[in-house]
Amino acid sequence: MNGSGRKKVNISDIVPFAAFVILFVFFTIASGGRMVSAYSLKMLLEQSILTMVCAFGVLFVVAQGSIDLSVGVNVALSGVVGMHIATATGMGWLLIPCCMIIGLLIGLLNGFLVSKCHVPSFTLSIAMLIGLRGIVNYIQTIIGIEYVPQSMLFMTSSAFRIIFFIVIAVVIGFVFEFTRVGRYSQAIGENETTARFVGVPVSRMKILVFAVSGLMAGLGAVFSMGTVGGTTMTMGAFLEMKVAMAIFFGGVLVTGGSSARFYKVILGSLSITVIVYGLSLIGMSDSQISESVEGGLLLIILFITILTNRRRSAWKKESSVREDAAG
Amino acid sequence: MRADSQSRNARQNRWLFPVVFIAVIVAVLVIFNIISKGLFLEWSNLKVIISHLIYPCFIAWGFCFLFACGYTDMSIGGVVVLGSFASCALGNAMGVPGVVLGGVIVGLVLIFINFLIFTYTKIPSWIAGISLAMIYEAVAVFLKLGRRTKPLVTASLAPEYRVLGQLPWSILLLAVGLAVIYFLYNRSTIGLNIRALGGNKDVAEKLGINVNRTLLAVGLITGLLIGIACFLQQSYAGQTTVKTGLTSINMIFQPLAIYLLAQIIQKHINIVICVPICAFILYAVFNVLTVLGVPSGTLQEAFLGFFIVIFGVIGQRKAKGVVK
Amino acid sequence: MSENILEITGLNKHFGPTYANKNIDFSVKKGEIHGLIGENGSGKSTLLSQIAGMYPRDSGQMLVNGEPYDPASPIDANERGISMVMQELGVVGGLPAGVNVFLGRTKQFSRFGIINLRRMRKEAEAQFEKWDLEAPPLGQMPDGMMIESRKMIELARALSVDPQLLLLDEVTQSLSLNNREKLYALIRKLRDMGRSVIVITHDIEEMVEITDSITVLRDGEVIGTVRSADTTPDEIRMMMVGREMSGHYYRTDNAPSYGERVVLDVSGVSVPGELDDVSFQVHEGEILGFCGLSDSGIHSVGTAVYGLSRISGGSIRLADTGEEISSPTRALKSNVGYVPKDRDNEALMIHASIRDNFCLPSLTELKGPLGFLPPGRLKGLSADMVEQLSVKCTGIGQAMDALSGGNKQKVNFGRWLAKDLKLLILDCPTRGVDVGVKAYIYQLMNEAKAKGIAMILISDELTEVLGMADRLMVMKDGRVTKTILRGDDFTEQAVIGVMI
Repeated sequence: MNGSGRKKVNISDIVPFAAFVILFVFFTIASGGRMVSAYSLKMLLEQSILTMVCAFGVLFVVAQGSIDLSVGVNVALSGVVGMHIATATGMGWLLIPCCMIIGLLIGLLNGFLVSKCHVPSFTLSIAMLIGLRGIVNYIQTIIGIEYVPQSMLFMTSSAFRIIFFIVIAVVIGFVFEFTRVGRYSQAIGENETTARFVGVPVSRMKILVFAVSGLMAGLGAVFSMGTVGGTTMTMGAFLEMKVAMAIFFGGVLVTGGSSARFYKVILGSLSITVIVYGLSLIGMSDSQISESVEGGLLLIILFITILTNRRRSAWKKESSVREDAAG
Repeated sequence: MRADSQSRNARQNRWLFPVVFIAVIVAVLVIFNIISKGLFLEWSNLKVIISHLIYPCFIAWGFCFLFACGYTDMSIGGVVVLGSFASCALGNAMGVPGVVLGGVIVGLVLIFINFLIFTYTKIPSWIAGISLAMIYEAVAVFLKLGRRTKPLVTASLAPEYRVLGQLPWSILLLAVGLAVIYFLYNRSTIGLNIRALGGNKDVAEKLGINVNRTLLAVGLITGLLIGIACFLQQSYAGQTTVKTGLTSINMIFQPLAIYLLAQIIQKHINIVICVPICAFILYAVFNVLTVLGVPSGTLQEAFLGFFIVIFGVIGQRKAKGVVK
Repeated sequence: MSENILEITGLNKHFGPTYANKNIDFSVKKGEIHGLIGENGSGKSTLLSQIAGMYPRDSGQMLVNGEPYDPASPIDANERGISMVMQELGVVGGLPAGVNVFLGRTKQFSRFGIINLRRMRKEAEAQFEKWDLEAPPLGQMPDGMMIESRKMIELARALSVDPQLLLLDEVTQSLSLNNREKLYALIRKLRDMGRSVIVITHDIEEMVEITDSITVLRDGEVIGTVRSADTTPDEIRMMMVGREMSGHYYRTDNAPSYGERVVLDVSGVSVPGELDDVSFQVHEGEILGFCGLSDSGIHSVGTAVYGLSRISGGSIRLADTGEEISSPTRALKSNVGYVPKDRDNEALMIHASIRDNFCLPSLTELKGPLGFLPPGRLKGLSADMVEQLSVKCTGIGQAMDALSGGNKQKVNFGRWLAKDLKLLILDCPTRGVDVGVKAYIYQLMNEAKAKGIAMILISDELTEVLGMADRLMVMKDGRVTKTILRGDDFTEQAVIGVMI
């Protein structure tokens, strides 16, 4: 896509493919072929869906060179509250819209604080991660866990989830790759001054992408509850890191810009799932094993991505991200 | 003329803020005391607050040096866990010197490795730090579950070796730490160079400050401070637990809040001195919240997150007004 | 021993393809106050920075006291008795003023690893006293200080190495009158001690008054050196801006030609510190030129009209709709285009593809139903533009940073031509491009003019504005001082007379 008519393939575009293929082949061999069974492939997809849905939203934020680490806790809050509203009112159909609205509101708050109050997105979303998790835990100590209402049980079928996921993927893929929202976000990530000087509504776009990220987290809650059948005490835990890993594993630069592509999110999410699922297939299902492997591979992939992009800017621009991170 | 009156004003203001600040703190403490019906200012309660804030202070001091050169290290929680393990294992084998040695060696080595990765791979430090946190955390879990290592790291540190984490030794360490770090940060060539590098890299470079050597020094100093925090943590708590899922990052949230608060008032009071004061304020607030029956671990965390956002907003607002 | 403290022969320095310094021969005598003057981008700060060891030269020779001089760093330069106060270097805001004076050399105050801050402050105070300068509160952070005090700190820092040659880059502009006087006294004192000073300032009167001799630079080359006593400010200005009119690529007509219809109506616009009550109208098919010296505010006109500055008074409206341009987003929507001066940092996404750069301003026009941006259409637009402008590249997917300056500028300029523009603001559109591209850009401007697009041309190059504009607004200190119509008194002499 990035090359014009005559394909001039960029090495950095191959990295995510290569990473995925190598991981897949490795685990296929290591598991004696069990990786390629129909069941395994379905499991792979199912296990990736939640990460992908949330990553679709965060992709917009990362394209602008910011980060949203509050998606995991947003999934938990919108899920727990949405579920409680649906259960308490007895109107099951409220579940999905409530999740979406709560997720969206949190996203808007994030966007407002980043865009208008100039809080660095890293500091902000970390603070949200702590603070909202506290609120979620508090709510859950009172209301406990709840189960998907009878009228909404269709959520738990994998057919529904897969169809719903495909719809979301098509919409987000379209918005990111083929509308101004995606292009403008990439432009802001490439050079915020340029975007502003051309006339991109920078501060509005910043609020918008965090809102999208929040909305996708709200939808993520629907998928999360659909898989488990209700809320859990550890809902959304570690998810924000998984999402960030999926995006960077897919070869998106931390600085965003035109390195942020939709297909990379899908590849990255699948790679992460292949690692976790593959390790469990070969009898290493302990979380500490997958966590150390993921951490190590993430470092390596990030390093390769930066090297293959060979942009002095990625090195130079780091300072701006650093400022962002340092708060 | 203008500069003159400006300086005179400034000289007056210089003392004005700390005086007002301390008055406000005292007033707040009295209010806390009234709210908690006299429980707050009881010596036993204050002792709890003070002994709790010591190891977070060292981490927050570490942040002072770390942030000064633009790095954010999310793996510090993982380092502290591993350092505490080492402190425990060596401590039970060798006594108090082992406690100190275990923490400091692990802290120094791991933070130094982090710095090498940050500077040489050019991966933005926060994301590299998250990857490293995952690795350290996983290693810690391996140690916790490993057949041979389990008894070493999950055992409690023997009470007689835990003196450094108890009053009065811990407060003494804090005082010594405060003095040493104050001189290091304000009165040493390396401290001034670090701050120059963080404040204005171009100026620092052009004035002949060796950037790589300075960064190396930051790594060593931060490593040492984190190492101290490791053995203090182990001595205070006696035991350290670890879970996967980046839970170790939780350990740095309180020091982070302390640092951010200290950063806001550092214009008026030296940041090294700010850190224990801010730590005291923060833990006093949590203490009162606990006394008032606000559940810890849930709503108190919400307060913590809220504080960080507020500090972030205020800090950012100030930064905008500054020229360059 | 030679009587020159500094002697430079055949010095060259270039950044990328553009020469910042070209074959410079320059010398400073002992006990001489030497002025260095030229318009922005003439290479004077670059020259000074090389003398101070900030960056190395490409070729040429430097001698200090007759001995070869190759400073690897400013510290090296200090050791040879040369120190500099830079225009933009600044101080470290988070370190006390006294520490700033000795930053990088703090070891001398340290004993057993602990620095004696009091001794350092005393020493800093002594520096201020020795040179009779007003000391800011040395224990405080420069963060809260006024620019003037910060400059004083830098000055004390430069003086504390006891320099044989002091380099001052635009120091006076941030000083108040009485501190300026003190600085002049200081410079004279240095001369009386047999030391030398090189001064850069935009204030030409000041320069003629305080210096012994003046060297004028233009486009990175030395135009000439004159003795201050024998010259006048006007003569210096002529040397600075005067260029030969080799105008075969400019417009050939000698009369204004534009439509009746007003496109843009700017009335009474003020931007604090930049513009003061500026009013003008731009007509259909008109090229309105803006010229003035570096700090006259001509560039602020461009940012203000595109909605990038916060204006404190007045209005900027599109005449036919009455719509106010309050933000760049609004400007873009109203079919106004802007080519900023700083191509790499403000105009282009340097690491993105040529296609992305071409399409960015036109995305609204390219979108279909549901906001769909058909990839084919984006590709088509960029491919057409690449061909039309003959941009030299391997394809529209190529990254911008691989292109030469001229081709970058073609993209920067050309992407606006893909739109149906009403008004185009051009800030130094031919900066850093070669003659061929320059001529091509003028041709494009003529074509746009023929199509009825109104243009605002802001330029540091007087000949360019004279060559292309229908009307010319001369600015000084943020105000429009004169408007000249093409064909009236459209000569360099006339304009320079008003400019200064």
